[in-house]
Amino acid sequence: MIIKLERIKVQTRKSEEAIDITSKVDEVVQKSGVKNGVVNVMTSHTSSGLLVTEGIPCLEEDILTHFSRLFPEDEDYHHRRYLDYDGRLGFNADAHLKSILGGISCMFPIENGKVVRGSRQTIYFMEYDGPLERTYMVQVLGE
Amino acid sequence: MIDFHTHPVLIREFVEKYPNYERSARQVFNIGNNFQPLETFFLQMDVAGIEKAVLLPIDCKRARKDAVSSNEQVAELCARSERFIGFASVDPLKKGAARELENAIKKLGLRGLKLDPALQDFRPDAQKVYPVYEAAEALKVPLLIHTGMSWAPETPLERGLPLHLEQPIRDFPKLKFVLAHFGWPWVWEATALALKYPNVYLDTSCLYYDGPKEFYQFVFSKQIPTTVIERSLRNKVVFGSNYPRVEIKNMVHALKNLQLTEGCLHKILKENAERLLGIVNSEL
Repeated sequence: MIIKLERIKVQTRKSEEAIDITSKVDEVVQKSGVKNGVVNVMTSHTSSGLLVTEGIPCLEEDILTHFSRLFPEDEDYHHRRYLDYDGRLGFNADAHLKSILGGISCMFPIENGKVVRGSRQTIYFMEYDGPLERTYMVQVLGE
Repeated sequence: MIDFHTHPVLIREFVEKYPNYERSARQVFNIGNNFQPLETFFLQMDVAGIEKAVLLPIDCKRARKDAVSSNEQVAELCARSERFIGFASVDPLKKGAARELENAIKKLGLRGLKLDPALQDFRPDAQKVYPVYEAAEALKVPLLIHTGMSWAPETPLERGLPLHLEQPIRDFPKLKFVLAHFGWPWVWEATALALKYPNVYLDTSCLYYDGPKEFYQFVFSKQIPTTVIERSLRNKVVFGSNYPRVEIKNMVHALKNLQLTEGCLHKILKENAERLLGIVNSEL
């Protein structure tokens, strides 16, 4: 049984954006030497996300636009308060809620050393509170 | 646009280079966010539409064991980018503080003085502090001084009373005092000082509860009427975010959300800071 974990940094450049990380995940799987197993991908943050959808710009825009419609920045959130453990105000409840809605992880099978994905499936790192340097984890398990 | 109030306390590149940098951010300044590469700072400015940022150190070594960024660190960042404008900080109770300030301005190329009576543990109206005021006045650099509440631990509220500054303001009429955080919660006192004395300015880096828009809406339309800024203080208020305690873009949005005219906003976001920093050479 092989278990390999890689932490990958990504510098986001906008307040919100969808970043295609599919090839990065493929790369980690190939390097791992695992022929049959699974790969898990997960963001390390609670105001960013990880999701799978068709990889086209119109959908990227729709996701961000409609998540913002569901969780507007100016809504009446309890999170808008001083967070003593952080020494700062929390006013990014919208980003946290988008992260919960869109999800923070995904999993794919590995067969004959390759990630098994549907032809339209693209893996996105979702920034909801940028720009920031972020980290996501790719863990490969198998043999 | 210029952000007159930022603290370079979360620069990843400095964590390994300067052994006490992390302790200072966590325990002295009290901030828990992840360290970020310098690039993030520029990107935060970009998404907010900010061209230049004033970087503020705080020399609180005597009172708190470590400085919150040093003059040398600020100068190092300014050397990396023209988008940064560095201020110096000295401990006004330390022997030779005035000379140290002179060196920071003349040799390191820093362009203003930052003091924080609460974190540096001194009374701003004490005579012992006066040589530093004299030096700043002689050097013709502005003084950005903390007023109001501080989030840093072990900092008494009383040290942030804006009225403690009245005597120095009167004694140094050529020194430009920028009262940080609009003196919150003593907003009227800070406003009165800015109304009364030509050498007093205010920065908008205040956020103590709720979100930026709600807080600004309350402070700048309920605590004081928006018209005080629009009509009487339009030449004396500068935009400050207090990044990284708050993201710059949120404070810019909050400011633009107030019922201020475009002309007044332009002064707050750019012109007044340029005049204070000597980027444009005009007196009102």
